[in-house]
Amino acid sequence: MAKTILAVDDSGSLRQMVVFSLRAAGYQVTEAVDGQDGLDKAKTQVFDLVLTDQNMPRMDGFSLIRALRGLSTYQKTPILVLTTESSDEMKAKGRAAGANGWLVKPFDPQRLTEVVKKVIG
Amino acid sequence: MTIKNSLALEIKKLLTGLSEHGSQHLSEIETDLVQTNILLSEAIEKLSASFMAIHAAVSAQQQMVDAMLMQVPAAAVGELRTKAAQIDQHVNAAVTGLQFQDMTNQLIGRAMQRLIGVRDVLEVLGAHSTAMPGDADQNQLQALLEQANASLKMQSAKLENELWKAVRQTHMESGDVELF
Repeated sequence: MAKTILAVDDSGSLRQMVVFSLRAAGYQVTEAVDGQDGLDKAKTQVFDLVLTDQNMPRMDGFSLIRALRGLSTYQKTPILVLTTESSDEMKAKGRAAGANGWLVKPFDPQRLTEVVKKVIG
Repeated sequence: MTIKNSLALEIKKLLTGLSEHGSQHLSEIETDLVQTNILLSEAIEKLSASFMAIHAAVSAQQQMVDAMLMQVPAAAVGELRTKAAQIDQHVNAAVTGLQFQDMTNQLIGRAMQRLIGVRDVLEVLGAHSTAMPGDADQNQLQALLEQANASLKMQSAKLENELWKAVRQTHMESGDVELF
């Protein structure tokens, strides 16, 4: 059974590229348009991996991560941040919020797939 | 009209002019930025649609080629596999490049926020100019200008706090990956 990924980003074009790359690698990908949408979807289905942007309206990535870590079903779920941010300060904040990895945009599809494979198989 | 009165009038004219002309130019810039954003969004939609269509067609073609490869000499098979690998590389490069709109959208959004903030600053200047009587004496002038300076400082600081720069990329090479 294919592993499931929740891809959260307020940019439609970015989500399209994430979905394209990961579906080509055999993963089932569900999209969310911002942190709140991501949280709502995460509560209705348990995903194997969450891939989230940071700067989003309604609920940003760090807030989403903290909310997910507060759910019993997402205590151990790998959560990766995919963002334009590259500062050590933001990475530290992401890590403190509960993220397991940091990918700086733009992503290379092959590298993204390799990282996801490394994390969830 | 005394020299002091004409000074007050000139300062009033300057602040009003700065506010009005500045706001007008900023509104034009805002219009251009909105239009740029719309065009970029449309361009990425069309580019992405074309890319997906090309990829689907190439994938379908590849399936046909794979089926035909059973009857083809090994050398030709190797060459075809190399071409397929090259196509994959170009696809990856295209996917990386097509992410430009996310970053440019953020930069344009930030520019618009700053623009709106500067327009707010000019409106504050305009408001202080309106409040300034044309025959203000030196003390009144000084007090008004001090108020205007204080408002400007506050607006400026507020703007700086709200404008965190999230996009530092200056080229479209793929970014770093780090697992904690």
